[in-house]
Amino acid sequence: MKLWYSFIKELKLSSKSWYFYIELGMAIVLLLVLLFVVPENFDTKSKEYIYLDLPQVVRDRFRDNLLEEDLDELSQKVEVEANNTIYAAELYETVESNIYLLDSMEALDAFSNSERVPAVHVRVNEDNQIVQTYYLQGYETQKLKNLLLVFQNSKAGHDVIEDYRDNIVVKSIYQDAEPLSDKENILPVFLTFNGSLMSLFIIAAYIFLDKDEGIIKAYAVTASSVWHYLLSKIGVIIITSIATTLIVTVPIMGLQPNYPVMILFLVTSGFFAASLGLFLTSYYKDIVQAFGALYIVIVILIMPNISYFTPSWDPDWVKIIPSYVMLQSFKEIISVNGNMSYVMLASLGFAVLGMDIFILANYRFKKTLTL
Amino acid sequence: MIKVKNLFHSYSNDEKYAVNDISFQVEKGEIFGFLGPSGAGKSTTQNILVGLLQLQKGEVEVAGYDVKQIKNKMFNKIGMSFEQSNVYNKMSGLENLEFYGKLFDVETRDPMDLIRMVGLDGKEKIKAGEYSKGMKHRLTFARSMINNPEIWFLDEPTTGLDPAIASNIKDIIKEQNEKGVTVFLTTHNMYIADELCDRVAFIVDGKIRLIDSPKQLKLKYGEKLVEVEYYKNGELLKESYSTVVEEEKNKLIEVIGSNDIQTMHTKEATLEEIFIKVTGRGLV
Repeated sequence: MKLWYSFIKELKLSSKSWYFYIELGMAIVLLLVLLFVVPENFDTKSKEYIYLDLPQVVRDRFRDNLLEEDLDELSQKVEVEANNTIYAAELYETVESNIYLLDSMEALDAFSNSERVPAVHVRVNEDNQIVQTYYLQGYETQKLKNLLLVFQNSKAGHDVIEDYRDNIVVKSIYQDAEPLSDKENILPVFLTFNGSLMSLFIIAAYIFLDKDEGIIKAYAVTASSVWHYLLSKIGVIIITSIATTLIVTVPIMGLQPNYPVMILFLVTSGFFAASLGLFLTSYYKDIVQAFGALYIVIVILIMPNISYFTPSWDPDWVKIIPSYVMLQSFKEIISVNGNMSYVMLASLGFAVLGMDIFILANYRFKKTLTL
Repeated sequence: MIKVKNLFHSYSNDEKYAVNDISFQVEKGEIFGFLGPSGAGKSTTQNILVGLLQLQKGEVEVAGYDVKQIKNKMFNKIGMSFEQSNVYNKMSGLENLEFYGKLFDVETRDPMDLIRMVGLDGKEKIKAGEYSKGMKHRLTFARSMINNPEIWFLDEPTTGLDPAIASNIKDIIKEQNEKGVTVFLTTHNMYIADELCDRVAFIVDGKIRLIDSPKQLKLKYGEKLVEVEYYKNGELLKESYSTVVEEEKNKLIEVIGSNDIQTMHTKEATLEEIFIKVTGRGLV
């Protein structure tokens, strides 16, 4: 019962605190940004500017090839601007890129020099061979240059490369899971940092506030245990994180996520993060002294974000950072046919780790009540 | 009620002891004053007694419980009023007391009775954060009585209070003591100690220099003189007479019998003077 009374008291105190409303407010702001600012999918198509300095016959054949790849098999007459000059162009929209056929070398120079985008000059040399000259910007990697060479050779009809390319089969590892849209893909980052990891910092703020007011000492000389006090704080923080998570997730994802598993994961990961926050705060008198440690923790926890948005960078050491597991778990939770076994295992891991750290934190707090 | 034997405490876990081999006992129903200047080891000792600091070396028993292995049940018998007010600022005075009342396993007092006792009635629904320093102090003091403690630890209970309220607080302490509550009073205010305590301990540099009753201390260290102010032939005279030397005793009787006495005081040493005499240190 004492734990319950402490929890109710903490809930009342939170409802009278700015932190609580800042968290709810931030969740609403993020929801609005996701709803009205972030597009469903980012436009990742590359733009290519090409000038076909070719005889009419060859040019027509080139155009026909482009039309075959065009999404609606129709080109569009458009006007493009470079260096404050408007140029006429034909736009071919393929799956991977928007290709602009320019009508003069002057236009090509303008795009290459002032807009600093890759441009291609296609011409026929004295031996009647097609020569493609790429105007790059100088910062392109050797890998990209090699890829362009491979691409051009395959275009030029080198059968071996073309056959090899055509025989490549791309398979999704999780064939059952449907990919998330770009907007949905941002959500796990928010859920990880606001839903789980903010518990670490918010509890630190609450504890230092109480330390400043001497509240912990007053609690410690009652017949209630210090762990009641600590756990009631964690409980309130988890309730807040569930509320903020639902504020953002429900309008964006509807009924797609597995909500029971999401709440379970928020509870376990929040418990882990808050226990870690408690453990850290037990070493310091105030937030100023703790700032160095908190800063290091923030930097470490941000690392997995790089891996999340750049999957090619995924070293093993990043995978043991808790926020990596949180990001992946939230991604599975909101995905159609996500891997719930992974999430359940992660929940179990966070619950066990959280409990261990909580026991340590409780021990530390009992030892440092006069700090 | 309190037994302390060979208690040591070091904050740096070395030989620099903030509390250095102290022993004392506090009997049931006694008001025991723990007196000393800042940094003498008063708060360290008190914090060990109530479990806020872990016992490192020595034996401590409070209300029959060994402090080495503190049980939550022990706190049902203990009340603690802190020097620094530590109440929930976002809760009203009444809410503060109601909440703390729920944290004990024994029958607790009516929060409104306590509010009235410390003169906060009419302000019980105001947030504690809006209270003055003195009001917060009174709320902290009231909270320490919520569980009807058998042992009451008071850390500078009248600090920062105006004389009228301080007097009210002293009356409450006396009243509770008359009901059988044992009081452990930590202070550097010798006047309140003199007024309230059955026995006092002087602590300096982590060591207890002396334990005795204020009365005994005054008898032992005070000068045995009576100071008299009287009119003789229209002139106001002021003289001191020894109550020990026979000749002066007779003079005193003569002065009292044949003159118009204005004032007459025994000239006792104050506790503060005795403290300085015994320890060679001031109280600041």
